[in-house]
Amino acid sequence: MASATEKIENLKVEFDEKRILRLIGYKSKSMKLKEPVKKLISEEKEKLGHLLHPVSIYTILDYEETNKHPVFNGAEKVALCISTIGPDLEKDIKELMSDNEMLRALILDSLGSEAAEEVAIQSDRILAEKAREMDLWPSKRFSPGYGKWDIQEQRYVFSVLPGESIGVRLTESCMMIPRKSVSFRINFYKDKELSTRKK
Amino acid sequence: MSKEDTLARMEKAIIEGNKEEAEMLAKEALEEKMDLLEVIEKGYARGIQKVGYLWERGEYFLPELITSAECMKAAMSIFQPELEKTQIQAQSRGKVIIGTIEGDIHDIGKNLVASMLTANGFDVIDLGADVKLERFVEKAEEEDADFICLSALLTTTMLGQKRVIEILKEKNLTKKIKVLVGGAPVNQKWADNIGADGYGENAMAAVKVAQNLSRG
Repeated sequence: MASATEKIENLKVEFDEKRILRLIGYKSKSMKLKEPVKKLISEEKEKLGHLLHPVSIYTILDYEETNKHPVFNGAEKVALCISTIGPDLEKDIKELMSDNEMLRALILDSLGSEAAEEVAIQSDRILAEKAREMDLWPSKRFSPGYGKWDIQEQRYVFSVLPGESIGVRLTESCMMIPRKSVSFRINFYKDKELSTRKK
Repeated sequence: MSKEDTLARMEKAIIEGNKEEAEMLAKEALEEKMDLLEVIEKGYARGIQKVGYLWERGEYFLPELITSAECMKAAMSIFQPELEKTQIQAQSRGKVIIGTIEGDIHDIGKNLVASMLTANGFDVIDLGADVKLERFVEKAEEEDADFICLSALLTTTMLGQKRVIEILKEKNLTKKIKVLVGGAPVNQKWADNIGADGYGENAMAAVKVAQNLSRG
């Protein structure tokens, strides 16, 4: 029997100011942020209230229910998840770029990347907690395209999870649309030693 | 105000990213029938060169580069109708065909590179995102281009960069057309492996690589 899929909604996205600055290209700790750039960041941030629609979908499979890819080896269960911030922010970036507002577009893009990451982090925490409730040990979060889990495995994730139910689809080149989406797995282990997670 | 003062103010407007000043000075230059080539080369272009220098010294970061490039673009668009009318051509550092490989719709990084190249005197034709591989080569031949810049943000689409170079090899065009690659999964090693002429880790690095290749 197919495992149930669940949604995670009502996630609140908070931003790490330093990470945003790094994403828009400020690499040095000693630099002083110029007033016009500061103003643009705060203006773009204000738009986020109506541009972000954070949501995740996940399922938790028994190992036997998975496609038994080697990355699942040793796991008792595997959680698969797709997170997104929705399509609106990307539409806005496109408009800014066509208006030649490149800096605003870069700032909004960076805020979107950070928001997508934040949605994935919060969903990851919820799933790790579910592992603990099952008396299992969660691994860290891994996405297709990293380590031994090839990007092509996105197709497997999307064959298990109905991405379209949260508005995310996969292109032929395994790209998620909206782009500000994250897919990942967490292995749940019986043996604490197999878990790569500290807490 | 002397010509030298005006040129210095143009340079400063670009360095400081002051768009209003850059546009106002461009309009004044037109009204006063100044030598536009001189205005571009000794005023605005010097500003953008200095911006590159400040970036190299770690004093400027990407947001300042973008702001200055936007100012440069605004000033140049004021000159464009006059330059076309008089058929005067500002000195081009080379013609560039740029785009994101097919299957990939990421375009902000590519747009930044295009914008920086334009600000630094390259003649840029942007094919957009999700561009068919053959299209890059066709357009480069059609436009007699010096460079093809290929952006790929996915491990699946970066293979397309390799294929474009293969198409150029098949057509014996690798000496004439230089290929620059970039994108999150791309690095110097990949660029070397596929026989690209250059790799730009970021928008300004791409400009530097193109400048070096165009001098070479």
